[in-house]
Amino acid sequence: MSCFAVGRAPDHAVTTGRLHAAAWAVWAVAAAVSVELAPNPVYVALVIAVVGLVVSAHRLDSAWARAFPILIGVGVAFGVLRVVLTAATTHGGDPVLFTLPAATLPRLLGGFSVGGAVSLPVVLQAASESFAIVGLMAAFGAFNAVVSHHELVQVVPRAFYEVGLIVTVAVAFVPSTIAAVQRVNEADRARLGGRRAPRRGRLVRRAVPLIESGAEQAIALAESMDSRGFARAEATAGDRAAATGALVALLALAAAFVALVARATAVAAVMAIVGAAALLVAVFVASQASGRPRYRPRPITRRDRTVALVALGAPMLLGVRAFLGDRTLTWSTSPLHLPSVSWLAVLAVALLAVPVVVRDD
Amino acid sequence: MTEAVSYRDVQFAYPREERLLDGVRLDVHAGEVLLFMGRSGSGKSTVLRCVNGLVPHSTGGSFGGDVVVGGRSTRSYPPRKMADVVGFVHQDPEAQFVVDQVEADVAFALENLGMSPPAMRRRVEEVLDALGIAHLRDRSPASLSGGERQRAAIAGALAAGPSVLVLDEPTSQLDPQGADDVLAAIGRLNADLGTTVLLAEHRLERAAPLADRAVVVDAGAVSAPVPTAEAIAGYEGAPSVTRLGRLLGWHPAPLTVREAQRFGAPTGLERPPPATSPAPGAPLVAVRGASVELGRHRALRAVDVSVAEGEVIAVFGRNGAGKTTLLRAVAGLVSLAAGVVTIAEGRRAAYVPQDPNTLLLGPTVRDDVETTCRLLGQPAAEAADRWLAMVGLTGMASRHPRDLSAGERQRVAIAAVGVGEPDVLLLDEPTRGMDAPSKAALEVLIRGMAGAGRSVMLATHDVELAARVATRVVVLGDGEVVADGPARDVLAGSLFAPQVLRVLPPFLTVEEVAEAIGRA
Repeated sequence: MSCFAVGRAPDHAVTTGRLHAAAWAVWAVAAAVSVELAPNPVYVALVIAVVGLVVSAHRLDSAWARAFPILIGVGVAFGVLRVVLTAATTHGGDPVLFTLPAATLPRLLGGFSVGGAVSLPVVLQAASESFAIVGLMAAFGAFNAVVSHHELVQVVPRAFYEVGLIVTVAVAFVPSTIAAVQRVNEADRARLGGRRAPRRGRLVRRAVPLIESGAEQAIALAESMDSRGFARAEATAGDRAAATGALVALLALAAAFVALVARATAVAAVMAIVGAAALLVAVFVASQASGRPRYRPRPITRRDRTVALVALGAPMLLGVRAFLGDRTLTWSTSPLHLPSVSWLAVLAVALLAVPVVVRDD
Repeated sequence: MTEAVSYRDVQFAYPREERLLDGVRLDVHAGEVLLFMGRSGSGKSTVLRCVNGLVPHSTGGSFGGDVVVGGRSTRSYPPRKMADVVGFVHQDPEAQFVVDQVEADVAFALENLGMSPPAMRRRVEEVLDALGIAHLRDRSPASLSGGERQRAAIAGALAAGPSVLVLDEPTSQLDPQGADDVLAAIGRLNADLGTTVLLAEHRLERAAPLADRAVVVDAGAVSAPVPTAEAIAGYEGAPSVTRLGRLLGWHPAPLTVREAQRFGAPTGLERPPPATSPAPGAPLVAVRGASVELGRHRALRAVDVSVAEGEVIAVFGRNGAGKTTLLRAVAGLVSLAAGVVTIAEGRRAAYVPQDPNTLLLGPTVRDDVETTCRLLGQPAAEAADRWLAMVGLTGMASRHPRDLSAGERQRVAIAAVGVGEPDVLLLDEPTRGMDAPSKAALEVLIRGMAGAGRSVMLATHDVELAARVATRVVVLGDGEVVADGPARDVLAGSLFAPQVLRVLPPFLTVEEVAEAIGRA
């Protein structure tokens, strides 16, 4: 967007057709809850397809967007691992695919038996559950690929801005570390002029320096932030009140959790109420405190609200279906049968594609 | 003249280390460009980091004396309170971005200063224009080229409207094109906005003409600032034209080819003897019709190149012309879409990547060099000693590689690959960020390898290095071989010509001129 005029009011200065970070948050939660409500692999596959469509339409030019396929890959890898482990330790059902040599672990290690008959229903059930996890990873990865984390931080109240920014910056090291690992792998091949390096001890040899270089970059970044006046403003009374409120809320909720574990239900209830109240006060005070001036703040538009509402429709419809006893939402592999599908549920999942439809404002 | 920055008897020691700065006194005039020269590790960074108080507020250590900028003393003002008077840019362009979008990152300092939104909007536009990066505003810094990224970092430092801009080797991790862009932008800022600039730099061919005055930093001592031509005349890392001027007694010492051409050629110089490039030995590598595709991009198109024993081949070409891809193809790191790369039976080609940090993973310099031997199953200790001596780093063997300067790390990486005794050593931009002693050590090493019947292939933009060591030059353009021939022939006919050739053709280097004078 090349047109600009000096002194133009920032409120009208939205340059890109991007959706608001809050709308994306709602959309991602809706997608994740949909996967949870309808773990039938057909619906999960639909969610993943829709999520992929949305990412390809809205992905930003960011490190996280480039990490999206890697996140999916990680999800798939964990899924495969889970299938293998389940198949090796869970038995029963027909038909049996093949039989592995069996062994029973000593009681110290749990005492269950490993190996033996591997049956199709067990494998399919584990694969279907793993697939749902891939669906959740896709929703999480998609959120990170399309949302501007900076915008997300800007939305939080002033008192939490600094903490939010630090978390954002810290999280951004994940994709850059993945890239560093790839570069190091290649350098190792390059230095040997084509010979294969022995794998032994490779991980340890690399992990420490990668962490070191990460820490070094973090220090450089901290200096850059310091040089550019980060945390220069003194905390106001409102900031301090909000921070105190948040701390009290955290302690009270932790106490409630401990009490719950110790089965002191009454104490737990009181602490939970205190915690929730303190949190409300903190958020209220924080949002009342004088705002931090923002560069080109992004107002929530009608389009953002539309996307959020339509996306929320998906889990709500699925919830209603579940309440009404829709048996297609989940898939049980025993006895073995193909997953069945209801068109209403498919329609509900399709609502998640709303960001693609409203792409052009 | 008013002083923009004054160092008042500054003393400083890093925690648990000996005193580095001992009584630095220096006044920087408002509106000037002051160049800080000096070897790697001489203390340039430390001196520059005093300006906005990163030394001592961020480093710790014991600090004496005072640094005053715009009436504020860094003793009582930490860096965040100096943000509106001093902008700071350091050498690693990657580690300076807070926000994953250029425009929002530029605005970061303004938000911190609490500027009103309309003023902020206007300032960001102005700064983007001043650095020529308005078209990159929506991009992620990670997706930019090095030069673009460093200009975006300067924009971020400049946004708050500081009167002083401090740049600590801003181009040491950039290729020459990116470096030229960055230095040109710095020159423009100084000329148009009157920003005072404190600049540490090794790339003196470009930086020296920008500077009004220069100082030399040596072991923490800062010389008195004098006009750049004076300071550089006796400096070891001076550009070739300046050293040529020194040899021929020209005064004032020229800083650019244009200045040198005014003096005219001395009479009675014998032409250099025709290049006695030794007959190339047995072939080591043959690249035949190699094409490489990276995604949709054709990085190499039907390239034919051969490498024989004893050759030093310099590969030139703009960024993206395929230099790195060609080297990686020879090293067997990329798959070819067409063609073949054959390496003579039993011979090996090893590659030193542009970023030395990817190789330097061990706790000490020596360990990094020995790792290669261990991975190859070769005896380590003696070979490591020999290679550390060859790159001139014997004294640093027990140091942590990350404590070294960019040029020193590059040399460790070269030793760590070379120690495996490959028959072809592939060097990717080896002189980035190198100071004069590092470059001299590298030249000796390259000649030594070629003399021992091995060969070296380097992708570089450094014509001066190529003029001194290369026997053959290959020029790539858009993935194709544009020129391939003896170094003197290719360099003489090209716009890439080394400085000496432009002033005193047909001489390529100062050393050749010195020999001719010796014969005369």
